[in-house]
Amino acid sequence: MTDAVMIPRRAGHALRWTGAALVAASLILAVVGPLAVPGDPLAQSLTKALSGPEPAAPLGYDHLGRSIFHRLAAALRLSPAIAIAAVLTAGLAGLVLGTWAAARGGWTDRILTMLADALLALPGLLLVLMVLAIVPGTAPGFWAGLSLVLWVEFFRLTRAATRAVLASPAVQATRLLGFGPVYVFRTHIWPEIAPMMLTAAAFGTATAIMAIAALGFVHVGMRAPTPELGLMMVELLPYWREAPLALLSPVMATFALLLGLTLLAGSRDT
Amino acid sequence: MNTLVTRGIQALMVAVLIGAATFAMMRALPGDAAYRIAAGRYGYDNVDTAAADAVRDELGLDGPALPALLHWLGDLLRLDFGNSLVSGQPVIAEIGHQLGASLSLAAVAVVLSLIMGPPLGILAGLRPGGLLDRGLLVVSTGLKAVPQFLMALILILILSVQFRLLPAAGYGAARHFILPALALALGLAAVNARIARDAMARIGAMPFYSFAQWKGLSRRQALLHHGLRNVSVPLLTYLGLQFVTLVEGVVVVEAIFGWPGIGHALVHAIFSRDVPMVQGTALCLGLGFVLINTAIDLLTARIDPRRAA
Amino acid sequence: MTLLKADDITVAQGGTPILHPVSLHLEPGEPLVILGETGSGKSLLAQAIMGTLPRDLAARGRVVLGDHLLDAARPEGFRPLWGRQIAVLPQEPWLSLDPLMRAGRQVTEAHHLVRGLGTQDARAQAATDLDRLGLAHADTRYPHELSGGMAQRVAIAAARAGGAGIVIADEPTKGLDAARRDEVADLLLAELARGGGLLVITHDLALARRIGGRMIVLRAGRVVETGPTAAVMAVPTQAYTRDLIAADPENWPARSRRPAGAPVLTATRLAAGRGGVRLFSDLSFDLSAGRILGVTGPSGCGKSTLGDVVLGLAPPAAGRVNRSAGLAPTAFQKLYQDPVAAFPRHRTLGRTLADVAHRHGQPRDRIDTLLPRLGLNPVLLTRTPGGVSGGELQRLALLRLLLVRPRFIFADEPTSRLDPITQKQVIDLLRDTAAAEGCAIMLVSHDPELVARTADHVLSLAPAKTGGDLSGQAVKRAGGLG
Repeated sequence: MTDAVMIPRRAGHALRWTGAALVAASLILAVVGPLAVPGDPLAQSLTKALSGPEPAAPLGYDHLGRSIFHRLAAALRLSPAIAIAAVLTAGLAGLVLGTWAAARGGWTDRILTMLADALLALPGLLLVLMVLAIVPGTAPGFWAGLSLVLWVEFFRLTRAATRAVLASPAVQATRLLGFGPVYVFRTHIWPEIAPMMLTAAAFGTATAIMAIAALGFVHVGMRAPTPELGLMMVELLPYWREAPLALLSPVMATFALLLGLTLLAGSRDT
Repeated sequence: MNTLVTRGIQALMVAVLIGAATFAMMRALPGDAAYRIAAGRYGYDNVDTAAADAVRDELGLDGPALPALLHWLGDLLRLDFGNSLVSGQPVIAEIGHQLGASLSLAAVAVVLSLIMGPPLGILAGLRPGGLLDRGLLVVSTGLKAVPQFLMALILILILSVQFRLLPAAGYGAARHFILPALALALGLAAVNARIARDAMARIGAMPFYSFAQWKGLSRRQALLHHGLRNVSVPLLTYLGLQFVTLVEGVVVVEAIFGWPGIGHALVHAIFSRDVPMVQGTALCLGLGFVLINTAIDLLTARIDPRRAA
Repeated sequence: MTLLKADDITVAQGGTPILHPVSLHLEPGEPLVILGETGSGKSLLAQAIMGTLPRDLAARGRVVLGDHLLDAARPEGFRPLWGRQIAVLPQEPWLSLDPLMRAGRQVTEAHHLVRGLGTQDARAQAATDLDRLGLAHADTRYPHELSGGMAQRVAIAAARAGGAGIVIADEPTKGLDAARRDEVADLLLAELARGGGLLVITHDLALARRIGGRMIVLRAGRVVETGPTAAVMAVPTQAYTRDLIAADPENWPARSRRPAGAPVLTATRLAAGRGGVRLFSDLSFDLSAGRILGVTGPSGCGKSTLGDVVLGLAPPAAGRVNRSAGLAPTAFQKLYQDPVAAFPRHRTLGRTLADVAHRHGQPRDRIDTLLPRLGLNPVLLTRTPGGVSGGELQRLALLRLLLVRPRFIFADEPTSRLDPITQKQVIDLLRDTAAAEGCAIMLVSHDPELVARTADHVLSLAPAKTGGDLSGQAVKRAGGLG
C-alpha cells in the first residue's frame, strides 16, 4: 500500500500504545488481582447470591454466590493462556511451513497451499468444534483446534513474503556474493516477516479468545463451573435486572481485552 | 478456466478434510458407535445386535483405520451422508429444511452491512485523514473488537430486555429478522467500510484517478466513472473471504436466537455427537464458501479484464 | 499573444522555500523546455502552474491564462481550466489510464463530459482522434493490452479531448529507450503544430534538444540559465549548465582501446527465450580482463537475460558459458539497475559491507580505503539503503562488489535511474574499475551513445529473434539497431 493510504504514523503509534495498555490492564487484573484480594473463584455461598460489591468481592457475587472478581480474574487467565499457547504453536508451524514452501516450491508448495486453501474455506469455529469432539479434554481441545485454525494465516503471510523476498534482486546479490541460506533468512526474510508476525499474533490471540468465549456462550465450549468469559455472560444473563454489574463485568473485560488486541495489531484487516 | 480448476481442487480438499475430521469424531465417540448409527438408520425399535454388527462390519469400526477411512470418504464423495443419529431422518432432507432459514438470515445481514459499510468507507477514503475518516476508524475498530455473540447479547439487552422493542427470539415474522441480522451486519459493515475506505484511498492516490480529473472531469464524475468500478473489485474479493466470518456468525447467532437454521442444527449435532449431521452441515458450509468465491472470481474477472488473462 | 504567463511562482513546504521565484511565459507555436535534475524543482514548478501540488506544499505567485487571472496559492481556481485550457500529460501513461475501461471510452468520456458533445458525436470524435494518432485498432482494447507508446498516444487524445490549447508534459520520456524517446518528441511537436502551446519538463538532454524552442535550466529550486534551447545547448554560459551538457553521453570523449588481459569467460552459441519467444540465439563471444563489452538494444530484447545467463542465474536454451579455470565461484558479480532493491532493506550499509568483507576474509580497512576512491563519505555507512541517494548507493554497490575481488561484473542498466552528472561519475568509476582491478565488465544499457563511448566492443541485440554470431575478440554488430 502507498503511504497515502496508511494511517498517519503518530496516530498509529498512539493507537498501538492504547491497545498495549488495555491488554496490560486485563493481564494485571488477572494475575495481580487475586494476590491483592485473595479469594476462591469456585467457592459458593448461596446467602450472598447476586449481592453487591464488598471488600472481599470487589465486583459482587453471582447467582450461586461466587465472587465475580475472582471468577473474572481466573477467566482472564484461562482464555489468554490457551490463546497464547495456540498462537505460539500456530505461529511456529506457519513460519516453518511457510518458509519451507516458499523455498522449496514445486509439490511441497502446492500441497501445503492446497491444504491451507481448504482450511480457509471452513469456518474456524466449526473446526474448533469438531476438534473439541475428537480430543479428550476441553482446554487441550481448544488448543489443538485453535492451532489448526490459526496456522493458516501465519503460513500464508510467511509464504507470500518469503517468496517475494527470495525473488528479489537483493537476495540474488547476496547469493552471488557467496552467502548461504542462513544468512539470507537472517538478513532478508526475518526482518520482513517479523512485524507481520506480531500483527498476526495479536489478531490470532483476539480470534482465539473470541472463539472460546463464543462457544462458551452457546454452551458448547468450556463446561460449568469453570470460570470462562462467555460462560459467565450466559450464566448471568437471566439476572440482568437484579444484578447488572454482575453481567457487565465479563462483558466489559472481554471488550477491553479484544479492543486492546485489535489496536495492538494495528490497522491491517484480516 | 484456471479459476475453476483451482476452486474444484479446493472443493475436493474441503470434502476430504471434513470427511477425515468426522471420521475421527466417529472413532472418538464414547460407547458403541455402531449401535447408535444403526439406530439412526433403522429406528431405535428395530435395532438388534445383528444390525449393529452389520454396521460395524460395513464401516470397519473395529478394523484398521485406513480402509475404514477410505470407505467413509467413498460414501461422502458419493454424497451418501446417511441418516441423522438423533432424528433418524436422512441428513440431506434435514439440511434442506434448515438451509432456507440460514440463507435468508445471511442474505439480510449481508445486504444490511452493504448499505451501512461501503458508502461510508468510500466517503472516508475520498479524504484520507479527514474528520469522517478518523471518526470511521474509531467506530469500525470498536465494532470489530465486538464478537458477534457479544453484539447479539448487547442488542438483546438494549432493544429487547430494556426497551422491549423487539422479540429476543422467534422465527417467522419480519421483525424476528432485525436483531439477529443486525448482530451479524454491524461487524461485517465495520470491516466492509475499512476495505472500501482503503481501496478508495489507494485508488484516489493513483495516477489514473488524478488524470481523469486533469482531463476535465469533476470530482463527482471521476468517482462515478472511475472510482466506484475500481473499488468494487477488492470489495467483492473481500466479500467472498468474509463468507467464513458470516458463517461463523450465523452458527453463533442462530444458537443464541433459536433460529431454526443450519448453524443451530450444527451446534445441536455436535452437542449430541450426531456425526452424519455434522458431516452434512459442515460440508454444506465449506462447499458454500467455495461456490460463492467461484462466483466472485468469475464476476471480478468480468469487471477487471486483467484478472481474466 | 502570450498563451500563459506565470509571475514569481514559489513553492514552500512548511515555511521552507523549495522553489525560488520563477517567471515564465508560453507563446503559441514555440515550445518551452524546463530542464533539471532530480530535486531541481522542475515538476513542482509545473504542478504550481497547473494547481496540482500535493496538499502539504504551498505555492505563491500569479498565473495569467488567456483572460483568466489565477492565484497559485488557491489551486481550487485552476480546476475549471483542466482539460478545457490546459491538457496535462502524465509521467507514466500506462498508469494514467483507468485499467478497467477500454481505451476508446476514456477518450469518448472527455468529449462527452468535458466538451459537452452528445454520446454519438463524442464517440465519433474519439474515433477520429484515435485514427489520427494511428490507433484505430486500439479503440476496444484495455490499457494492459496496449504498448507503452500506444498508451501514451491514448493519453494525449484523452487529455486534449476537452479542447485544451496548452499541453504540459511532465517527464514524458521517463524510462523509455532512445527510439521511443524520439517518437514521443515528434508526437508532442505534432500536437504543437495543431495550434496552441507546449511546455515540457524533463531531465533528458536529448529530448530537450529535439523539442527545441526556449529553455529554462533549474537547479535546487533556482533558475540557472534561460534562453533559446539550441543556443543554451551549444554555448552554455553557466558552469552548471556546462557540466550538465558535458554529462550527456553524446558529448563524452570516445574510449581509447586498451590491451586485453587474461581471458575470463567464453560464451558459445548461446540462446535464450522468455515466455516462448526466442530472444537471441547463436551468440558467441569471449571476454578478457580489463575489457568492457557493451550490450544495447530496445527494451525487451533480452539484454538483461543475456547477462543473467552469463552469470549462471538463468539457464540458456542452448549453448554454454565457460569460466576460465581457477576462478572463485564468487568471481562473477552483478551491478543492479535499482541499487535500493539490491541491498537488504533493514540493515545499515556499514553492516552489510562488513558482512561481505568478513565473508571474503578482507581486512576491515579495505572498506575505508575504497570509500574515498569511489568519492563516498564514511557517514553513509550508518544509514539504511533508503536513506542515501541513488548515485551514492550505486557507488556503494560497486564498493560491495570490489570487496569480493571480482573478475567479471555484469552491470545491468546501472545508471538508467540516475541524473546525467551522476551517471557520468558512475560510468567513469566502472571504467576505472575495469582498468585498475583487471576486471571484465559487461555493460547493458538502452542508450547506444553511452555504450558506444564506454565499451571496447558493442553487441547490439535486435528486437526480434534474430541473433548474431560473435567470435573471437572481433566486434560484430548483430543485426537490429546496428
